[in-house]
Amino acid sequence: MSKSAWAWIWFAFLLALDIAIPWYVLTRVETVSGAFLFWTVWVAVAIISAFVIFLKWKEVER
Amino acid sequence: MSATFWVWFGISIYIVAGLAIALMARRQLGAGVSEFFLANRKLGGFLSAMTYSATTYSAFMMIGLAGLTYFHGVGALGFELTYLCGMFMMVFFLPRFWLVGKKYGYVSPIELLSDRYQSKWVGVTAAILALVFLVPYGAVQLMGVGYLMNGISQGVIPVVAGIIIAVVCAIAWSSIAGLRSVAWTDAFQAIIMIVVSAAVLGVVVASLGGLGAFFSKLESSVPGLLTVPSAKGAWNINMFIGLALPWLFFLISNPQVSQRLFIPKSVTAMKQMLGGFLIFGFIYTLISVLWGFSATLLVPGLENADLATPTLLALPIIPMGLAIIVMIGITAAAISTIDSILLTLSSVWARDIHKGLINPKVSEKGELRVGQWVIPIMAIIAFLFAWWVTEQPEGGLELMISPLSAAASAGLLMAVPAIFGAFFWKRATAIGAIVSCIAGAIIVLIFQITGWKPLGWWPGVWGFIVCVPLFIIVSLATKPPKEKAEEFIGYLRGALKKGRFI
Repeated sequence: MSKSAWAWIWFAFLLALDIAIPWYVLTRVETVSGAFLFWTVWVAVAIISAFVIFLKWKEVER
Repeated sequence: MSATFWVWFGISIYIVAGLAIALMARRQLGAGVSEFFLANRKLGGFLSAMTYSATTYSAFMMIGLAGLTYFHGVGALGFELTYLCGMFMMVFFLPRFWLVGKKYGYVSPIELLSDRYQSKWVGVTAAILALVFLVPYGAVQLMGVGYLMNGISQGVIPVVAGIIIAVVCAIAWSSIAGLRSVAWTDAFQAIIMIVVSAAVLGVVVASLGGLGAFFSKLESSVPGLLTVPSAKGAWNINMFIGLALPWLFFLISNPQVSQRLFIPKSVTAMKQMLGGFLIFGFIYTLISVLWGFSATLLVPGLENADLATPTLLALPIIPMGLAIIVMIGITAAAISTIDSILLTLSSVWARDIHKGLINPKVSEKGELRVGQWVIPIMAIIAFLFAWWVTEQPEGGLELMISPLSAAASAGLLMAVPAIFGAFFWKRATAIGAIVSCIAGAIIVLIFQITGWKPLGWWPGVWGFIVCVPLFIIVSLATKPPKEKAEEFIGYLRGALKKGRFI
């Protein structure tokens, strides 16, 4: 499978977690370490993944 | 001296500084349409990141998102961070937009669609979609400034005065040097936005005993706001998806932000733009949400969520000077969004409607003149819309930031299948793009106006459910622009490989 396809799958996985964890797993955790912490860490992972990909880009002829 | 005096004083300094920056940017202004609307595609990484951030983040953040957090709790954080997670798609779209922008000389993302689908009617449809849904979104920014100034001056400054100030600044900053003045003032405004919001949050959190004590108070006072669905039950999964879905695709659906994908001068500038924005967005979102949570602790019981920020700023724990600076920060967030919208809409009108449909033989100079005239016209339309909303008998706040922003994003979402198709599907056709955009937009408008939510699903969700299959089915049933599709996608395949893009 191409790198692009893997990246789309990873993105879809992140979106699945976005619904599954806070809405179904952490739904009774009424503390900051529940959905608040999850979403903060989750988006940090998404941002780091984007960095990992785009830091490999190289200059093209203009 | 009175609060009103300090509001005027602060606003005057802000306007003078912004004007000085815009006039400095004008010194670098060259000739031509691409120069005026895209800074000749030669913007550095820092300016690109700042203008992208300031354009994306509007008055919605410190008023609308803070208000949503105030009423519904942590779900608001999830919704806004879902948007930020959607920025992951920039790793696919940023290089694609940038490469084809350079190769084919596109000025607006709508021109990209017209050319790729080989149909001026695709451009006209997407342009109308942008005009219909972006004008109310622009008006929301104006109203935000009006209500904020009115609130901080304790009603002395009329809402309409704040709206007029925002309109005049937005016209000036987008007209003085096009994207150059917008980008420079955006950079100035983005710095104000993040610095002052962090400072005022620091003051509020310190007054609550520090971050640890702040979180403990949240857990003991409003535990129901730390889960989804929220304790009140209003923030349910349907509302979450209804808000998050349009925002997930904001990076390509909103032309004022996707147009910015054309402007970085190099791959390095592109990387700085994306990295800078992701960091800015992460910090600014957390600040806005924590600000909303602090309002739940300090000013509980408000009936209107959009009043959370002005009410919190009026508390004695916040020094008047800081409250004024925060007001300027929010004003900056609003104006930096509306001036970008004005500039994009003027480029869309000049390139995609005037040149694309009305007068294809217009000279570059003539096209530019049309674009420059359209800026104040669009601003006046947005002003009239904002004024009309604020004059409604129930009060404009009923129609304020969150509902109008959500409606605008839901409408623009309907162009997403056509944009995906342009880059990834050779079989996509112009008719498929047009039919899906129109049908989706009609559904969104009908559901939005009537308030109808079958199964509890929001207008954007229904529109998307209809427009995606419609785009695929109609495309399969009609003839694609085979030669252009091969050339466009074939070029991208080779160019992406060269730059190690994915």
